[in-house]
Amino acid sequence: METRPAMPIPGFNLITGVKQPLIMLLALSMGPASGIAQAADAPQPSELIRAAMEHWRGVTSYSEMTMTIHREDWQRSFSMQAWTEGDKLSLVRVTEPRRDAGNGTLVQDQSMWTYSPKINRILKVPPSMMNQSWMGSDFSNKDISKSTDIIDQYDHRLIGTETRDDHLVYTIESVPHEDAAVVWGREVLVIRDDYIMLRQEFWDQDGILVKEMNTTEIALMDGRNIATRMRMHKLEREQEWTEMSIDAIDFDVELSANLFTLSNLRNPRQ
Amino acid sequence: MAAHRLHFSVLLTLSWRNLWRNHRRTGIMLGAIAVGVWAMIFMTALMRGMVDDMLNEGIHNLPGHIQIQHPDFLDDPSVANSIAEPAGEFEALLQRIESKRWATRIRVPAVIASERETRGINLVGIEPAAEADVSGLPELLSAGRFLESRKDSGIIIGAKLAERLETRLGKRVVVMSQDPDNNIRERGFRIVGIYRAKLPGLEEFNVYAARDTLQQLLRIEGRVSQIIVVGEDYRDIEPLYRQVRQQAPADLQVRAWYEIDTYLATMFNMMDGFVLVWVIIIFLALSFGLVNTLVMAIFERVREIGLIQALGMRPALILYQILMESTLLLLIGLGLGNGLALATIKPLESGLDISVVAEGMAMMGASSMLYPKLTSSDLLLANSVVILLGVLTSILPAWRAAKLDPVRALNST
Repeated sequence: METRPAMPIPGFNLITGVKQPLIMLLALSMGPASGIAQAADAPQPSELIRAAMEHWRGVTSYSEMTMTIHREDWQRSFSMQAWTEGDKLSLVRVTEPRRDAGNGTLVQDQSMWTYSPKINRILKVPPSMMNQSWMGSDFSNKDISKSTDIIDQYDHRLIGTETRDDHLVYTIESVPHEDAAVVWGREVLVIRDDYIMLRQEFWDQDGILVKEMNTTEIALMDGRNIATRMRMHKLEREQEWTEMSIDAIDFDVELSANLFTLSNLRNPRQ
Repeated sequence: MAAHRLHFSVLLTLSWRNLWRNHRRTGIMLGAIAVGVWAMIFMTALMRGMVDDMLNEGIHNLPGHIQIQHPDFLDDPSVANSIAEPAGEFEALLQRIESKRWATRIRVPAVIASERETRGINLVGIEPAAEADVSGLPELLSAGRFLESRKDSGIIIGAKLAERLETRLGKRVVVMSQDPDNNIRERGFRIVGIYRAKLPGLEEFNVYAARDTLQQLLRIEGRVSQIIVVGEDYRDIEPLYRQVRQQAPADLQVRAWYEIDTYLATMFNMMDGFVLVWVIIIFLALSFGLVNTLVMAIFERVREIGLIQALGMRPALILYQILMESTLLLLIGLGLGNGLALATIKPLESGLDISVVAEGMAMMGASSMLYPKLTSSDLLLANSVVILLGVLTSILPAWRAAKLDPVRALNST
């Protein structure tokens, strides 16, 4: 693998908002098939990414997924439905197991609300809880709700390109700006030329790898290549991880206008 | 006149010699008085030192002698209850105050996050140049530098908090809070300084950043949470308080330290009464010994008193003689006690380490070093209580001695 000279990719920011599993799962897992050719001919990542973002903008999706939380002595799975529109709106609702069914999370840009039918209350997630875990998983509320504008807060650098299974794979190092609201010292992203993120590493400021997310399965769904299985893993806790897998997904679906509203969060109508 | 002086010198000689007739008993009594007086002065000095420390520390942590803020700020210390930076006449007044010590600050609940931990904190936006005068924060810095300007992009956190966050000087942390519209605002800060507070609890709680940086972050340009004014001495802030109150815009709340922290105020007001009660309690214990000593001395000398009465000494002079005896006893005891107290307080003035019980003390708001504080008024109080009440309690036995019937006294065995 040959390391290329450092190359800033400003436009890329929008996608490295990978702190957003939902968007990330979808945004980074899909891409135009034509991307490969472009990338191979003229590796201009910023152009490429801009194209990807354009492609993503306005795309709606409905998916069914499973989240598995694994701990040393237990493991549990949730089945969830998720709707997204663009990169700002998403709604997730738990369907299984029954005792958690109906729990919902609504994200509008930077704001986040949760609803639990057991207490019949909608709670706006306050800043103090943004770093707490989302439904007991290894994702934090912040990971789930983080809006993409945080991405302007990194300096991105292409540190490697290689070919893997007929795909070009880019390794990008993202270092947050001095005043960025990011605790990490740097993040390393491994991204395939069809925008599927293969791997994301979170390094602390002392150069120790704290957590990583790996794509373990890629499949063709509804006409697009999708990362269908991703696992978040904290390195300090060997036995703990959270896995998200997409069971089914439809793109460009009709979504009713009131889908991403608080009233719909409480009383499902779709 | 000459006769009076003669009487006096004779009485003095008589009582002085009487005092040392039973030197062991007198010695014990002197010891008791000395220890009692020592306890009065020494313990008072310790308490004064402790309370003074608590008050100073408490006022430092408020901080300031006078605070000006939005009337709702105390109920809901959020950025929504901010006030405009002082301007116009009000600012001119603040510039005019004698001590020249005033500052604005922002105070808002926030969340701080490192790679591994997240904690709730009290985020304070300060004007670095004025902060030394107001809270003495720069002196507490144990590592790194202090904020350099109002626009500094660094942050100062407590040593304990750094430990909890598993971070350290030079690393970045993320601070999260809300703007007046309840939108989440967040920003990365580099830790440029670590401070150590006297009270460990504060170290985990207060985090300091530059004022203008926070105004920008929280979208409250030109607004602050509080104006802090510090006078020359916290005991004497009334004139300044009245002045500030008159000049401050009517919709703001102006409060003096004793209104902000009523616990401190109570402590401050209670202290003088407490010292008096303490001195009197010790004196009561002492007085029994004193009266007993005198009664015994008189009981032993009934025949002798009868004899000098028979020889023509007037009862009043007997009364004087016995009172003089007790006064001498008290004076010597006081001298010893004061000497003992001074000898123990002086070496401890540089600080008495009570870190063994520091945790409990911290809960009360006191630090682990105790600086005894001897005030002349406390010294005067202890001495005058002992001498005045001492002489007063001696009157009864002395009066009984003077009342003795010479014939009966001479015949008693």
